[in-house]
Amino acid sequence: MIALYRIALVAARELRAERRQPDGVVAAVTFIAVLVLLESLVVGPQIARDADVASALFWLALAFATILATMRSFDRELEDDALEGLVALPGGRDALFGGKVLALAMVLVLVATVGGILSLVLLDLPVALPVHLIVVVLLGVLALPPIVIVDVVLALRLRARAALVPILALPVLVPQLVAATRGTSAALSGDAVGALSWAGLLFAFSVVYTVIGLTIVPAAIE
Amino acid sequence: MRTVQSGASLHDATVVLDDRVILRAVNVVVGPGLTLVRGPNGSGKTTLLRALAGLVPLARGDRRLAGDVLYIGHRPMLLRGLSARENLEFFARFRGGDTRAIDGALRAWGVGEDMDRPVERLSAGERRRASLARVEAERVQVLLLDEPFADLDEAGAVRLRQTIARARDDGRSVVVATHAHPELDDLAKAWIALDDGDATAA
Repeated sequence: MIALYRIALVAARELRAERRQPDGVVAAVTFIAVLVLLESLVVGPQIARDADVASALFWLALAFATILATMRSFDRELEDDALEGLVALPGGRDALFGGKVLALAMVLVLVATVGGILSLVLLDLPVALPVHLIVVVLLGVLALPPIVIVDVVLALRLRARAALVPILALPVLVPQLVAATRGTSAALSGDAVGALSWAGLLFAFSVVYTVIGLTIVPAAIE
Repeated sequence: MRTVQSGASLHDATVVLDDRVILRAVNVVVGPGLTLVRGPNGSGKTTLLRALAGLVPLARGDRRLAGDVLYIGHRPMLLRGLSARENLEFFARFRGGDTRAIDGALRAWGVGEDMDRPVERLSAGERRRASLARVEAERVQVLLLDEPFADLDEAGAVRLRQTIARARDDGRSVVVATHAHPELDDLAKAWIALDDGDATAA
């Protein structure tokens, strides 16, 4: 119970800092909006409105947005050694991962909502199964922070971490991105069974990545 | 980790960072009262405190601890975006303590007027004062203070000496690493001299 309380404290601290310095959210939303606009300009509106193409671009943008937001979160922690202040607390090492995942998932739900609405409006996309779409996007978003946080922590003390984190993260994210793209495409085009199947796989990814993070991060942060 | 009666201890502890031996088979027992860690720059003072706090892995040996540790390093360890008060409330709540002492501690350290400003808008000295107010706000038994006089003006330094003396009188274990401030010798019960990773207790 105390562990959950500490995770909630870390998440609340993270969200408060993000609200005061919303660099991560603003960068992520801007990134998605620019990408959607560029996509329709580059490939033309007909191809851009294809469910597979629009879904793939949305999830790629969200993956990069997650990397941006996570790196910004840890950059803030490294200033003035705030991260060390947290890790030095009893149970701080264990609460760090859970708190960051919780806070970043909430931030990404916001980013995905804004980015998703922008995509739907700018590309004038029809949504055949809105509830399925919400389920797929929520589960897809939940699967993103755990593995990105693991990669950021592993590269935390490296000077070239801005370049290394995407290189480390993207190969691991490929299965998750494929599932999220297929699930979103299925929800947009009215394939209920397909959307729910991919959603189930996304849930499994969230669980697996969270277990990996809970195992690795407390040791790696040392 | 075994529990001991004294505050914290290292036994035959070796720390290797970036292929360099920083601490070499160090044996240190920190009990109630003030322990001063002396040594020139690069002798391993910071690493010794970080090892006691469990912030660096030991290549060999072990660390024993009784109760919680409060470690305050070279930098204030406060999260930017939050105010001094919010940072201290976070630390206190995380330890399961109450937050009633925080306002008083920050006022006593001269940060009362600015306790609700984001810490990035405070000066380095004010951030240091806010950080040191944790000693009074968290009431932890073992205090590890690394060069705590850095960034403090004379009034802040006086306040810190008083705080250390009070913590010592309360029976808390206080470890201060500094290469200066000889006036602390009058308050100290024990000394650890570090030289190139070798520790000698006195």
